[in-house]
Amino acid sequence: MRKGGELVKMTLKDLPQQDLFGPGNAGCRGCGAAIAGRQAMKVLGARTIITMPASCMATLSGLNQKTAWSIPFYHTLFEIAPAVSSGIRASLEAQGIKDVNVVSWAGDAGTADIGFQSLSGAAERNDNIIHVCYDNEMYMNTGGQSGSQTPIYAMTSNQQKGKRTGKKDMLKIMVAHDVGYVASATISHPLDLAEKFKKAAAHDGFSYIHIMAPCYRGWNIPTDQSVATARKAVESGFWELYEVVDGKKTRTHEPSFIPVSEYLMSQGRFKNLSTEQVKEIQDAVNSHFGRKEAK
Amino acid sequence: MSLTLLTGSEAAAYGAMLARIEVLAYYPITPAFPAMERMNKFIEDGEMNTRFIRAEGDHSALAAALGASLAGSRTFTVTNSQGLLYMTEVAYHTAGLRQPVVMAVANRALSAPHSRFPEQGDAISQDASGWIQLFCENNQEVLDTILQAFKVGETCRLPVMVNYEGYIQSHTQEEVDVPQLAKVDAFLPFTRVSALDINNPQGINTVTSPDLYMDYKYHQNDAMSQALEVINNVAAEFSRDFGRDWSGVIEGYRMDDADHALVTMGSTVSDGRIVIDALRAEGKKAGLVKIRSFRPFPAAAMRAMLKKVQYVTVIDKNIVFGSGGALGNETKAALYGHLSIPVKNYICGLGGRDFRPDELKQVMALSEERAKQTTEYEWFGL
Repeated sequence: MRKGGELVKMTLKDLPQQDLFGPGNAGCRGCGAAIAGRQAMKVLGARTIITMPASCMATLSGLNQKTAWSIPFYHTLFEIAPAVSSGIRASLEAQGIKDVNVVSWAGDAGTADIGFQSLSGAAERNDNIIHVCYDNEMYMNTGGQSGSQTPIYAMTSNQQKGKRTGKKDMLKIMVAHDVGYVASATISHPLDLAEKFKKAAAHDGFSYIHIMAPCYRGWNIPTDQSVATARKAVESGFWELYEVVDGKKTRTHEPSFIPVSEYLMSQGRFKNLSTEQVKEIQDAVNSHFGRKEAK
Repeated sequence: MSLTLLTGSEAAAYGAMLARIEVLAYYPITPAFPAMERMNKFIEDGEMNTRFIRAEGDHSALAAALGASLAGSRTFTVTNSQGLLYMTEVAYHTAGLRQPVVMAVANRALSAPHSRFPEQGDAISQDASGWIQLFCENNQEVLDTILQAFKVGETCRLPVMVNYEGYIQSHTQEEVDVPQLAKVDAFLPFTRVSALDINNPQGINTVTSPDLYMDYKYHQNDAMSQALEVINNVAAEFSRDFGRDWSGVIEGYRMDDADHALVTMGSTVSDGRIVIDALRAEGKKAGLVKIRSFRPFPAAAMRAMLKKVQYVTVIDKNIVFGSGGALGNETKAALYGHLSIPVKNYICGLGGRDFRPDELKQVMALSEERAKQTTEYEWFGL
């Protein structure tokens, strides 16, 4: 954030006390998605309309006449959150309302798989919306099946011997759409996440933020380890924190490069990985960061 | 009154322009696309103050229109056939959310086999979607019905489909009177209703449990039932303001002393008037029942109209596989237990097969000949 023209790092004190999402939500203990929502809303603020396709997050957001959001919230069909957000933005423009963030907030399925077409359409049109993918790397709302965001070798409810193909790189795909702002984030780095939402909200055009959001059930981790697991993903280099502004990539956090096995082996979904498979993943991380070998 | 030559597509575009839609979203498809292009020209020429969303598919097109409607805008889209099928999920959702989106449909046959030609099967596929479905017999009615559709939809909080057949109407010029904008403004004022209101936050479409879901559906259906009266009232009001009477949900033509009723909808109604006039000239007591509103279906009004007839011939440009024609089935259901008249249902003109007035006359003669036969439905023109 800027203070008196000078770039100053945000601190937790700069975030508002008020929670615009959270109270009353039906998320599991340690739900990474709910933590991400709470963190993001501290920056997006009350002048925000949020659309959310079928997902855990939409389900935990309200039941019958109750809602866990203090802003307009719309639980959409599975494939359409970006498209309805485009429509909402068009309507606000027609009404002369300019100071509202329009956010489509989807899981990995609603973003990368069943929702991919409408996401790609809205990005290509450069509609002035923010699309957020909260990524728990499997279809948790239906019990934890594999999807395109499930990493290689992870065990899921319908691939109990592990997924055989890798994770589709949504961030690269969104960068290829030539949109103005693309960023990765996660819940263990709330200030990094907050800065990114600030930039996305300020960007006049399409923005994309991809949040790694651990899920204790799908990942088979203790419920109090969601944030710690996300931190291991970042510090091992498994999940890189960066942003791409007008095509220029900047890493926003330098990992300490703990062995990737510390991240993988703390999760039940990777418990069957062979030494070779762990090494293969470590090699991929090393290669990505241009490192010779792990510490 | 100044008459202009307009295709059905152009008439639909004029309707949307005169209704001052705020947001337009569509995905191109044949034969609906000329209506779309005409609206874009209106926007580029500054004749329409409308935001256009160039959707990447029909499913997203209706979704974008829905989003704009939820945020409070008057919105419009156009499609047909495969596009309408692809929209189906969003169509049901739009109706459940009670958003008065208006959609023009240039009716076209469904694949497979692939066809680009007219038929009403696409609209019939949406008969349980919760959309009001109006059918137009000529291009003037297309324009006028789009204006009425916004008024009906916004009164009932229901989405409305305005149907006209591909090519037969979409690509055929007819004389159309384009009403003055000021008169349309007076007929069709706009009251903004924003479900997604930044100053009044609400949760929309939260997970709904069995103790509420059924009640929502009751109210949705109740609104549909009440729409029968609203469509009639809006048509009457339109008639007062513009001097054209489209008779609301149903119209009887030369039905007063008729003993043989021809029941149909869409462009076949125009042909039907010619055939009825010809039969009357031959001294036959024939009449026409035009179904303008297929959803909601005007069952009681239809019974009243058919009370004294001996023969009923229903022409369907659609086939509900294993069941018959959709309008034939509705007619039989409306009469059952009230009137004991043989209803002969003919499936005609599918996938653009020509169905001429002389053939329609032939079908009516056939229908009288076979009145006592108990076939559920027959195909004509194979």
